Amino acid sequence: MAAQDRIVVDNAVVPLDFTYNYRVGQSMEKFIKGLGDKKILGVKCSGCSKVVVPPRQFCGTCNRVMDEWVEVGPGGTVELYTVGHVTVEKGLVEVADAPSVLALIKLDGATGLLAGEVEGVEPSGVKNGMRVRAVFKEPAEDSLNDLDHFEPAG
Amino acid sequence: MVERKIAIVAQAQIHSKDMPVPRERMLFELVKGLFDSVGITRHDIDTFVLCSNDFSAGRTISNVFEDTPVGAYMKDETKVEADGVMAATYATARLLSGLYDTALVVGNSLGASQFRPYLVMDYELNPVYDRQLGLINELSAGALQAKAYMDEYGLTDSQLDKIAARLLANAAKNPESINDDAGATPEDVAASEYLYEPLRRLHCYPFTDGACALLLAAGDKARELTDKPVWIRGVGDSLDTYYIGERNLARSRSTKLAAERAYKMAGISDPAGNIDVAEVSAKFAAQEPIICEELGLFPEGSGGEVADKGSAAIGAAMPVCPSGGALGSYAFCSAGLVRIAECYKQLTGAAGDTQVAGASTAVAHGQDGFCLQHNAVMVVSSEEG
Repeated sequence: MAAQDRIVVDNAVVPLDFTYNYRVGQSMEKFIKGLGDKKILGVKCSGCSKVVVPPRQFCGTCNRVMDEWVEVGPGGTVELYTVGHVTVEKGLVEVADAPSVLALIKLDGATGLLAGEVEGVEPSGVKNGMRVRAVFKEPAEDSLNDLDHFEPAG
Repeated sequence: MVERKIAIVAQAQIHSKDMPVPRERMLFELVKGLFDSVGITRHDIDTFVLCSNDFSAGRTISNVFEDTPVGAYMKDETKVEADGVMAATYATARLLSGLYDTALVVGNSLGASQFRPYLVMDYELNPVYDRQLGLINELSAGALQAKAYMDEYGLTDSQLDKIAARLLANAAKNPESINDDAGATPEDVAASEYLYEPLRRLHCYPFTDGACALLLAAGDKARELTDKPVWIRGVGDSLDTYYIGERNLARSRSTKLAAERAYKMAGISDPAGNIDVAEVSAKFAAQEPIICEELGLFPEGSGGEVADKGSAAIGAAMPVCPSGGALGSYAFCSAGLVRIAECYKQLTGAAGDTQVAGASTAVAHGQDGFCLQHNAVMVVSSEEG
């Protein structure tokens, strides 16, 4: 079909503006409270010894309950990263004011990687294997945002 | 091994950057066209499998207004809310049950004009963690996966550009492509803007309005409907863990498992030797080597060499995505059906300028989720087996 002028009248632009209030569940509640105390809490699987952050109740690999809580970080190592030149907000891509660094970080004591932004360093200076440290929000607001970002360490 | 044999007997596709008609009209014209080309009516279809998504349609039960235009009203009908390869797999299973002789699979979405694909993908994120933080989106996750493969196996930026340019050159020969950048050279790709490094704009799938229909039939019914049935020889499906920090992103374990299942069913022991053409759903160019390697088409970590030598080109020993793949068009849900439809075209000699000479066995791949979380594989052949 050939492209042609498309008529989208006002009442055919269809918003879908629901807001949902989820209970986050016991694992995430404990994790969020931990962040308020500047602690990053993971859970360890008694079967495969994997330590994951964010925590969850069951091990996907061996299906066991993961109820051993372990403090991980705040130091960690950049395992993988990307430099973002755009932002994606509600699916819209826009050029970023400044490049940002998104990394998958292996926190000390964890086996899984956690996504976090790395600040306080030029994007060109970020390398795999770089040591970073968690920076917490002051004062804490008891939300996931209490783990604000990571910065280069030692 | 299955007793009943199932074949694809017809395909139809439509793609646009801005579909000039409503979704329902698009589906009616697509399916009516397919029926007329085969010489059947809706009453010849025993079971309908629709493939669409409530988020992309913007309403609950996205298929509710699709039933009428595709002719499914008052008939046996069901929906798959995932990729089209999964819908085609489900239709195959329904035919294998012996309850039906014909199935029509129809997938569609309007990701160019109606909704934002990256927003719909956001709704696949964990609502109480990743969706709260806003760090992971389809582009940033795709970039991390690209970087993982490049770090692990040494694929360079210029080799990645060559992969994208090969797909875009193929897309330029495929009338179904809607990508304005079809035909771009590696230099054009390298000059396109960075989104998240190493991904540039021309490494990514274009937002697409589109639909695809496949007509499937069992045994004698398939032979009655066409002289050139393409037999579904094997199917496989596998879902990996959600958490991208707990997967090796340079690989795709679930693609490998899905392929092993499909190959076992199809009796394929040497994929690179047995398969003549592949159509894979690499939404970002860097996913192509990962998928192809897990499908056993190329050795692990060979993406750079394959790009340099042109080993995946239309005239090479292992052509991958002669259609241009997801870089030509990628309409959610419909996309996997398009991969199968392109294999069908190849095996019936109907692929026009993208035809791979003498192809008789093909593999199609579809995906859903972030960084190749959920994968489905289908082996099809002009040989009944």
